[in-house]
Amino acid sequence: MGIKDRLKTGIQRNLNQRYIKRLLGIIAVKPVLYAYGKTFTSASDRYLNIFTIESLKKAYSGSSRPIGYGSLFVPYEMFYALGITPFLPEVMAGFTAGLGLAPQTLKEASSNWYSQDLCTFHRSASGAAELDLFPRPDYIITSNLACDAAQKSFYLNSLKYGIEKNFYLIDVPYRYSEESLRYLTGQIKNICMDICSKTGKKFDISMFEEAIKLSNEFRKWAIEVGSLRKILLNYPPYFNGLNFILPFHGLAGTKEAVVLYKEIYKDLKKCLDEQNKEGLDREKPLKRILWLHLKPYYRNEIFDILYKENCRVVFEEINHVCWPELDYKKPFESLAKKMLSNFLAGSIDNRIDVTLQAAHDYKADGAILFSHWGCRQSNGGARIIKDSLKKLDIPTLVLDGDCVDQGNSSQGQVKTRLQGFIEILNS
Amino acid sequence: MTQDIRNTENPDKIKDKINDIEYLFKNTLFSVNKKGTIGWFCTYTPEELIIAGGLIPVRIFGRKKIIKSESYFPINFCPYIKSSWESLLAAADNFRALIFTNSCDGMRRFFDIASKYLDKIPSYLLDVPHLKNRDSADFFASNAGDMKMFIEKLNGKKIDDKKIENAIKLTNKKRSLLKEYSRIFNKLSFLIDIPTYYKVMELSMISDPEIFMEDLEKYLVFIGNIDKASTKNGTSLKSDHSDYPAIMIIGNFIAEEKLWEMLSTMNLKLASEDLCTSNRYFEKQVETSDSEDLLKSIAERYLNKPQCMRMADLSSKLVEIENNIVKNNIKGVIFITLKFCDNMLYSFPLLKQRLNDMGIPVLYLDIEYNNFSEGQIKTRVQAFLEML
Repeated sequence: MGIKDRLKTGIQRNLNQRYIKRLLGIIAVKPVLYAYGKTFTSASDRYLNIFTIESLKKAYSGSSRPIGYGSLFVPYEMFYALGITPFLPEVMAGFTAGLGLAPQTLKEASSNWYSQDLCTFHRSASGAAELDLFPRPDYIITSNLACDAAQKSFYLNSLKYGIEKNFYLIDVPYRYSEESLRYLTGQIKNICMDICSKTGKKFDISMFEEAIKLSNEFRKWAIEVGSLRKILLNYPPYFNGLNFILPFHGLAGTKEAVVLYKEIYKDLKKCLDEQNKEGLDREKPLKRILWLHLKPYYRNEIFDILYKENCRVVFEEINHVCWPELDYKKPFESLAKKMLSNFLAGSIDNRIDVTLQAAHDYKADGAILFSHWGCRQSNGGARIIKDSLKKLDIPTLVLDGDCVDQGNSSQGQVKTRLQGFIEILNS
Repeated sequence: MTQDIRNTENPDKIKDKINDIEYLFKNTLFSVNKKGTIGWFCTYTPEELIIAGGLIPVRIFGRKKIIKSESYFPINFCPYIKSSWESLLAAADNFRALIFTNSCDGMRRFFDIASKYLDKIPSYLLDVPHLKNRDSADFFASNAGDMKMFIEKLNGKKIDDKKIENAIKLTNKKRSLLKEYSRIFNKLSFLIDIPTYYKVMELSMISDPEIFMEDLEKYLVFIGNIDKASTKNGTSLKSDHSDYPAIMIIGNFIAEEKLWEMLSTMNLKLASEDLCTSNRYFEKQVETSDSEDLLKSIAERYLNKPQCMRMADLSSKLVEIENNIVKNNIKGVIFITLKFCDNMLYSFPLLKQRLNDMGIPVLYLDIEYNNFSEGQIKTRVQAFLEML
């Protein structure tokens, strides 16, 4: 049994916060962490996984308070500028799937009256919170971007932890207008000021300047990575762009995000150089896939099937840099612009514009929209997305499944539908 | 109103007359073809602006069976939205335009679908904030201003303050009448059937407001006379519901006639409600003063009315519910939601816990729309009532 499997089994058998802390205490020691890092083939994957473990250790140890829960699409630059250690329950829900803990966390959520019709990212995270698996938050900052679920489940968390007064909802307007920008900027500013008054810290503009400069630097490298991928087909083994949602969102504003994206760039550049030098030694041409929404975070065959069938996921919409360069002199307004620029805010047209542009830029032969059970905001637009891509003669597979709950996804059906789709691509 | 009421009349006959909606509201029932109509969906839509634009606001109830709609929306999607879309696919021409709100993820996507596949009918989405404070009221007022411009463009006519003021007065009056009707329904629940009560509520949302109010005013006088006569002259109209437990219904867009009929046959007194099809629609007036910005007054009313679970502050929603429970001496709560309504579903764990603390039992039901499985639900409600 390898180190990852041993970790999984250990935590499945001892599902409590004390054990998690103990485990992190063991694994985050340099030699063990080094051995763990060696199990990853690329430098970027290695860096990401080691950094994640170190961050989790800090969050769980209590040495880096205050801790703030955040939903995926809030601007994390503000967390770092305010000295708050972010903790992302939705991403942790992905970990519950990967570690095989979701059956237990989902069961706990159900026993606390969370309906089975709700999104399993939020249900699993809420179940984990009910089981006291997460470090206790001091603040919770969430938004209505991109869905209703985050603001509600995070609000319930704030009541559970008795910190309702430290719960903040960033209410992102539907349209991008001067009025919307003013409303959103005011909210972000008020939240920051309120947190400063609660922590007793003076508002420090230089911290915001630093976070925003780092965010811009990370953004620059993320765009560079995207550019490489427009021509890259020779990916490192096990590379999956959908593994980077944590750094892409949760690390924006840190030097670690900059280092990581430079590493990704170096890894992919090396592969591209090999591709340019040696060519792609293949009988059949590779098919280029655009991936929409997320993926299952438990062990599954989807990407193996795609790889074996000569399909490469050339881009994921979640990795699209949709916001402009931020102005460090206007931190609140810049972060408001970042949120308003999110293609999942407002009309489906924003998402379609990004999808069609990506399909064009990455020369997609087909698109797969992973239809995660209970994700109303994404699945409700599936028909329009499919019809829009069809106009470009790009077939779309709307693949029903569940990112977190393996029991809610039929592997056989997924396989059959994928194979049918691949036949269409090859016809 | 030509019906004459004498206290000597058979109580069953009186009850029949009180519940004869087709007769009592016959003018209302044929009112909407006279002017242009704008279809709307959510109680956060300021009807005042539609009326000020000389149009009739008609709430879309989506009475069609879901068939074609399935190919536009995923299987686990709001059944009210799917049914409304089915209705629009069948008869969108009935409307000059459609006004949506960003009340939830489902509605956002519904607007997208309507804009793409029903492009001959102008559609507008009103952005409703999730927060309740001064800044959000200003923002909502500004959005209401955009909605006003949409209606002006549609009609080619300016909407001035005078028109808005008149529309506010009219809509406020309708709210007062509906509130009075709700009060009488609670008092005379043994005479007014539950389906009748909700049918009147539905008519208030789908009819010409002036004609509806004329009918409702007459109806209230008619019921008032019966009440007075029975109080004055003895026991012929005494309630046989006095021993029934007082129940509160909490839900979303619940407009299921079969459910209302089923409940009216059961031993319960519907004493309070928190629904998109009743009190969330008519409670709270728009308060204006000469110096005020009318759009701001409208915005404040809508943000502070009995709120939908979509709003950020669920705790103040719980306070609303708790106050209703205490005021109406509620013995049990039926929480009934249309399937796949995330905002409702997330509110339940919190509500359940709070009701437990208050010692109030709650029954959880989730239902489809226009596809009511009576047998199963009746058994569950009966068991719940027996427990009370």
